[in-house]
Amino acid sequence: MEELKEYFNIAVRNIKTRSLRSFLTILGIVIGVFLIISLLSLSEGLKSTINQQLQAMGGEMVMVMPGSDEDFLTSMMFGGAKLQREDIEAIKKAEGVDKVLGFSYTGAVVRYKEESKQSAIAGYDPWKEGLDILNIFQGWSLDSGRWPSKGNEILIGSQIADGIFSKEVKAGSEMVIKGRKFIVGGILNSLGNKQDDSMIYMDMAIYQDITGEKRGTAAYAMVKLEDGLDENQVAENIEKALNETRKRRSGTDEADFSVITSEKMGAIAGNILGIIQMVIIAFASIAIIVGGIGITNSMFTSVRERTKEIGIMKAIGAKNSAILLIFLFEAGIVGLIGGVGGTLLGSLLAKAVEWYGQVHPIFYFTASVNLGLVVFGLVFSFIIGCFSGVLPARAAAKLKPVDALRRHE
Amino acid sequence: MKEPIIKLDNIWRTYQLGKTEVHALRGLSLEIFPGAFVAIMGSSGSGKSTLLNIVGCLDSPTKGKVYLKGKDISLMAESQLAQFRGEILGFIFQEFNLLSNLSAIENVMLPMIFQGVSQEQRQKKAKEILVSVDLQDRIFHEPGELSGGERQRVAIARAFANSPEVIIADEPTGNLDSVTGKKIMEVLTNFHKKEGKTVVVVTHDAKIANYAEQVINIEDGKIVENHSAAEEYLWKN
Repeated sequence: MEELKEYFNIAVRNIKTRSLRSFLTILGIVIGVFLIISLLSLSEGLKSTINQQLQAMGGEMVMVMPGSDEDFLTSMMFGGAKLQREDIEAIKKAEGVDKVLGFSYTGAVVRYKEESKQSAIAGYDPWKEGLDILNIFQGWSLDSGRWPSKGNEILIGSQIADGIFSKEVKAGSEMVIKGRKFIVGGILNSLGNKQDDSMIYMDMAIYQDITGEKRGTAAYAMVKLEDGLDENQVAENIEKALNETRKRRSGTDEADFSVITSEKMGAIAGNILGIIQMVIIAFASIAIIVGGIGITNSMFTSVRERTKEIGIMKAIGAKNSAILLIFLFEAGIVGLIGGVGGTLLGSLLAKAVEWYGQVHPIFYFTASVNLGLVVFGLVFSFIIGCFSGVLPARAAAKLKPVDALRRHE
Repeated sequence: MKEPIIKLDNIWRTYQLGKTEVHALRGLSLEIFPGAFVAIMGSSGSGKSTLLNIVGCLDSPTKGKVYLKGKDISLMAESQLAQFRGEILGFIFQEFNLLSNLSAIENVMLPMIFQGVSQEQRQKKAKEILVSVDLQDRIFHEPGELSGGERQRVAIARAFANSPEVIIADEPTGNLDSVTGKKIMEVLTNFHKKEGKTVVVVTHDAKIANYAEQVINIEDGKIVENHSAAEEYLWKN
């Protein structure tokens, strides 16, 4: 055991002696581990963000949105084409459809007292009936105030009430959106995801007035089905109705809308997350390989530089195992120091993203750094260090003392 | 009768240089007895360093047997041989061969680490040896801060660290001026006399050979003369 401690000390001293080279090798590992930790933490965050978004949209409703299935995520995140009045009418008429709720949203500057902030505003059509549907089927409930009944009354999410402005927004307060005064009718309880909690909800007609969007259109439609019907069957009916309307209107039969049932939504989410995981693993693998090659390269150079030293140690009684251990310790320590640096920087980046997500009203992104990930980063970098050091260490240990002593490099 | 501590039996060492075979040692046999002070002499390229490497178990012969304390070293595994080398042999090189990033005392302690000596004992013994070679003020200095003579004294201290039975010195004064060289040889001779250790020195310098009790001259990989210093003195006069 004492021997191991001494070999460890020799390894530490070797790292210190070649400080610049050690620093550069460590830097390579820091970058590799930083990439791995930040990518993994951000991907975890992305996963939970997407899950939240999908859960918020799902429930017992069927979603209809413009754009094909493939563009589903793009239209969800960035908006774009809109459902037209004829489309919404066609959905309403489809067999098995009970209610259709049109929904649009955009960013706007909102002023409360003397403070102006960027926030998201959303319009629902129909407004009053829509609120009932959201209340019953999506679990919306009031924290304070009342459900809006007048045109200039709005409903705000829990984050808008407490978090964005320096002063808490209370029911009955006045807010100015795009130059128009509104009264906060009610404040919602948290809806379980930050996007919904950071929105200001209003009647679609007023939303379209202040944003200039075309009347009768919607970014997407939430469809409530008649009781006891198969959602896939109704989705098919909606698709058929929309296809006929679109064919009549533009003469093409191209399906440029998506009807998403909860089953389909789950499958899409699974695919997206699968792709994300694959990309993350690919990036992480590249980072690992680059970092590992860095250590191997540095250790091989070190073996060449110190061939004579190895010869001396062997001449004075060092066994092959001693030389092997000294070099392995050296590689492992380099890996571990790189791992500590990389994990620290990766976690800092993730925390910075998380912090930005908390203070920014419409940036819905989180990152997840947990103890498991930190431990993984450290253990992993140490193992990579040792693994990359095996070949050079074996090469060093196998040197014949007489050959090693003869070298003058 | 005493058993030889080192015995070489019909040793051949052949190097392959491209397509040419170079015989550095040609069927050389030799016996060195415990407590002897032996000088191996020869001109450059005579094979004396190759012989020293084989005697010191740093190299293995192409043909023939090497016995150290009666044991055939060709039958030993690499790790066994390293252990044996550290225990029985102490090396002094022409170029000192100290580890530049270790202090004098750490260099002396290094062979003891490989023999599993405890830290406390290591420190005590290394200090004692360094004091005995008059380096008490240089204990914590690194080789770069020491003169040539001081470095060689550290190397001698390191060679004696594990109290080996044989000291092998390759041109120990080769890189030193004559006054320092003389001092180094005195240190080596004192150790030999006081501790009764076997010393094998390779040199091309006749003055150094004068310290030896047995002189072996080699030429073209063969022993051409092997006699005691007294015999040599008699022959010359």
